[in-house]
Amino acid sequence: MTDAPPVVALRNIVKSFGAFIAVRDASIDIRRGEIHALVGENGAGKSTLMNILYGLIARDSGQIEIGGKSVSFSNPRQAIAAGIGMVHQHFKLAPSFTVAENIILGAEPLKSFGQIDRHRAERDTGELSVRFGLNLDPRAIVGSLAVGLRQRVEILKALYRDAQILILDEPTAVLTPQETRELFATMRSLADNGHSILFITHKLREVLAASDRISAMRHGRIVATIDNSDVTAQDIAGLMVGRSVLLRVAKGEARPTTETLLNVSGLTARGERGETAVDDLSLSVRAGEIVGLAGVQGNGQDELVECIAGLRRPVSGAVEICSAALGATPRDNREAGLAYIPADRAGLGLSPESGIWENMTIGHLDEFRSGLFLDIGKARRRSADLIGKFDVRGAEPDKPARSLSGGNQQKVQIARELSREARLVIAEQPSQGVDIGAIEAIHRRLVEMRDAGRAVFVISADLDEILSISDRILVIYRGQIVANLQAAATNADEVGRYMGGFGAAHLQQSPAHDP
Amino acid sequence: MTLDSAPVARRRLQWLAWLRPALHPVAAILIATIVGGLLVLALRENPFEVYWFLISGSLVGLPNWLVTLQMMTPLIFTGLAVSISFRAGLWNIGAEGQMLVGALAAGIVGFALPMPGYLHLPAAVLAAFLGGAAWAAIPAVLRVYLNVNELVVCLMMNPIALLLTGFFATHVLKAPGPTNKLPDILPTAALPTFSLYSQVNAGLILALACCALFAVVNARTIRGFEWKIMGLSPRFAYYGGINVPRRAIWVMMLSGAVAGLAGAEQVLGVYGAFYDNFSPGYGFDGIAVAMLANFNPIGVILAAFLFGALNAGSAVLQMMTGLSKYLVQVLQFIMVLVLAAQFSWEWLSKRRPQTMPKYPEQSPAPGEAGEIEEA
Amino acid sequence: MDWEILNSAIRISTPLVAAAMGGLLTYQAGMLNIALDGFMIVAAFAAIATAYFTGSLVLALVGAIGASMLLAALMALFNIRLRANIFIAGIAVTFLAYGLTALLLKGLLGQDGVFTSDRIPTFPILRIPVVDPMPLFGAILSGHTLLVYVIYGFVPVVAWGLYKTQWGLRLRVVGEAAEAAEAAGVNVDRVKFQAMLMSGFFCGLAGAYLSLAYVSLFANKMTNERGLIALAAIFFARGNPYWTALVAMLFGTATALSVRMSQMTGLAPQLLLLIPYVVTVLALIIVGWRVTKARNRHGAWRFDLS
Repeated sequence: MTDAPPVVALRNIVKSFGAFIAVRDASIDIRRGEIHALVGENGAGKSTLMNILYGLIARDSGQIEIGGKSVSFSNPRQAIAAGIGMVHQHFKLAPSFTVAENIILGAEPLKSFGQIDRHRAERDTGELSVRFGLNLDPRAIVGSLAVGLRQRVEILKALYRDAQILILDEPTAVLTPQETRELFATMRSLADNGHSILFITHKLREVLAASDRISAMRHGRIVATIDNSDVTAQDIAGLMVGRSVLLRVAKGEARPTTETLLNVSGLTARGERGETAVDDLSLSVRAGEIVGLAGVQGNGQDELVECIAGLRRPVSGAVEICSAALGATPRDNREAGLAYIPADRAGLGLSPESGIWENMTIGHLDEFRSGLFLDIGKARRRSADLIGKFDVRGAEPDKPARSLSGGNQQKVQIARELSREARLVIAEQPSQGVDIGAIEAIHRRLVEMRDAGRAVFVISADLDEILSISDRILVIYRGQIVANLQAAATNADEVGRYMGGFGAAHLQQSPAHDP
Repeated sequence: MTLDSAPVARRRLQWLAWLRPALHPVAAILIATIVGGLLVLALRENPFEVYWFLISGSLVGLPNWLVTLQMMTPLIFTGLAVSISFRAGLWNIGAEGQMLVGALAAGIVGFALPMPGYLHLPAAVLAAFLGGAAWAAIPAVLRVYLNVNELVVCLMMNPIALLLTGFFATHVLKAPGPTNKLPDILPTAALPTFSLYSQVNAGLILALACCALFAVVNARTIRGFEWKIMGLSPRFAYYGGINVPRRAIWVMMLSGAVAGLAGAEQVLGVYGAFYDNFSPGYGFDGIAVAMLANFNPIGVILAAFLFGALNAGSAVLQMMTGLSKYLVQVLQFIMVLVLAAQFSWEWLSKRRPQTMPKYPEQSPAPGEAGEIEEA
Repeated sequence: MDWEILNSAIRISTPLVAAAMGGLLTYQAGMLNIALDGFMIVAAFAAIATAYFTGSLVLALVGAIGASMLLAALMALFNIRLRANIFIAGIAVTFLAYGLTALLLKGLLGQDGVFTSDRIPTFPILRIPVVDPMPLFGAILSGHTLLVYVIYGFVPVVAWGLYKTQWGLRLRVVGEAAEAAEAAGVNVDRVKFQAMLMSGFFCGLAGAYLSLAYVSLFANKMTNERGLIALAAIFFARGNPYWTALVAMLFGTATALSVRMSQMTGLAPQLLLLIPYVVTVLALIIVGWRVTKARNRHGAWRFDLS
């Protein structure tokens, strides 16, 4: 790449939300005509940084320079005017309107009296789509388009406004391999045309395939920016993770019995948009073992767990919990012996506005039942008990759950779920948003469960965690289990490859699925 | 979850936090009083005089007290009904219709089914209870099974109830003569009144008892606890084992049933028969009562008392000044408007709430991949 | 055939159509405005009071629209800026308006319940020369007061504005996908505010028509739930201006002629008055059914108390 001045420069950006610092001193340069990948783990601050650039969020301090000039955006309109376009991960489209209408919205071509020049709109958007190789029928209704085509509409929205800088947030999250290839071709042609592309991703394969330069973000800082030449996935991953001490929970050998406490067979389920999220999936977890489900978020884990927990109805297939068929409601599953610790703490696992004792009492109401009445004193005492036993910091029974930190909220959930006689424990993203010290405690707890003869099923996007805690590792990719590995016999490299869709040997997919 | 962008501002406002529950209703009353006062001034009357008439007309002298108690009774029922449902997360704005249906049921049992005294009154009251419940069942079922917004359905069910009950009163079961009412109820079904000064009746006792009952239910029973959690966080409640759909239907029906009791009180205690279009809007006033009471049953008694007093005083006001008694309605709904507004601290600091990722510790991007352990 | 019926039908439905146009704009912006009755009643009062004191119909019209838009601004402030639940705010604003107009009726005009006077000017009936003698078209097109023409004339204007202009496109996208509009740089709050003000404008016309043209008096709550019926028409017609106007006319005719029709059909008037509301509930059931069936295909758990 040339030494031309950067078209976008972010310098020393800082952004906090309350006590939490999302972006600390992040600096990044984007050159003209390059494809720049921004990688980092969950919570590294990538999306926050991009939202700041796009004017959706205001920064606390730091400079933004466009073409050498210092700018300050207070809303997306200003960013758009400066030539920045953003394609969000969750498309912002109006489904019952046409492609042309979605593209021109906000920058409509007008005739007299404020009327929209429909003819010109369709002609211009049509030409634009052809020019960039993103062929689309301007009159098509967006709601009827496939996901890959809808993404094209999003990209065209930015290009229509003469965006010179395109930010793509996890663009391939919902695309098929074919669509992904087409997207990369588009990106390359745009870059060759002088546009600058900045894309956020966590898929190392894509980073290697598509980018010119790579910036790694960790804990709110850009820790490195390197050229994409002679770089391996290991190198990039190393930058993302840094030299952090790997958590290794001290645990003995697993002694799984033959009793299968979770049995999923041939499960097929649809996701929110009607797409097939879980595709004829089968797995089992036995008593006395910890099975970790590794996989990049968005490959069907959420839907899989929702089906098991009784929150989603599968299209076909069967789930058995402790040898009993899946109940119709979460309550039935609880009674069958399931303890489910969800990832969605704010919406599902806790009631943020309610007191901690209330959060701990839900699901156990029968224990505190005395006729028609709730023995509140007993419930509160029990919760105070649990707060001590599980070391929930900063908690008192009456304080609302939202006043706790993420890690302590997690502990509340765990305290609630594990303080009962559950035989199957499902923990979803147990260490998400939890600090190191708490993670250790949580992992130890899970191992205790295993040693006590329970079946533990951990779903995590954190490969570290999976490797550390599992006895057996399953990898989910595109709704199917693509690997079933003994933890002791595998390593991060191998699992990572399966997660990225590389494990060709186990896949029964078309050769289009290339490494 | 709420997070401020300014830790300093948050500390400063924290001492207000414990005041917060009372802050909103007090602010509402204050603002309404001030605006009302200005309105009175504009109409060339003396606000202090006006407010004095309202107070004295309701609270000075036994006759006025009795009128206040009479005015307050239906509001306790409807206020309680709305509170029960709102607290559980269901917006029952159909209390007016449910009250009418309950009233009709009581009116019918009252005149058409002669029974010995100790059975007749309870039967009529029970009929009202069931009638209100049945009318509320419709929006409830539509909400749970067909995902139809219960607000709109309730809104439509109100005029439907008015027309249908009116139909009964003017055609099907019309009393003979040039009237628009059902035949008078039999004496065995009547709610005994206490004095000649007003129509306050034993229904008041029932209303207070209901409030006491629900205060206990809300605070101490399993069901009350479940309702509270449902109202705050329905997904969490479902995940926690509460059968939210089923509870929702029953709560709506219970809410409607209590509203029906308001109808029973009016028919069996105040009017002695079902009259077409007898309600000056008690069902909607109930919303005002419930909001002022912050959906708390004991608060309902206080709020109903306030509005009942205002209504009682308004009659005196009308006599003594050139002002219409509708001033009270204006005050009432200014309060509702203020209570409905959600004053967040961000608004006060004139900053637009920032868009934020769902978990502060997590960016919206999905998880990582390909992490390789550093050797 | 008595063509006069058509003439009456059009006259009777005029306020409904006007209110429906207003409600339609907010509906398209994603807000269910149940305060239409409130807007109309203040407009009706302002119209009558202004006409009485100034003797000018023009000023009365201006006053009506002004009052209605003021109330709409209040509604917008509480719903859009202060995030009050639109139903609660709508109920509050409506009853506030009922109370306020009753209060002012007594306070300003000294009457209790109904007000009328000889001093109030009336709208002249306009006859269109060529069309008037014709049987069908004459009855429909000629012989109405000015506001009737104005209001019905607005229907194609609303349709044009909604589907052909930039403002209309932005409005509709805000109603369907506010996020998409926001990301495209549209000021969502401002668009909604404008929609609410527009509904105030149309209700201003409706209210003025009610108290000055339809009859020449003001009575408490004289809107008679027309706002709710207008809403029903909007629901049924899915927010399309022409269909909404048509449904509003049907509802309006059925409602206003309920007495006469009950004589003809032998049904009690209340049963006819029920039609708009029952039809709305049925329409809601049908839509809900379809949505639920679609969701069940996904197999997702879907009970959201919101």
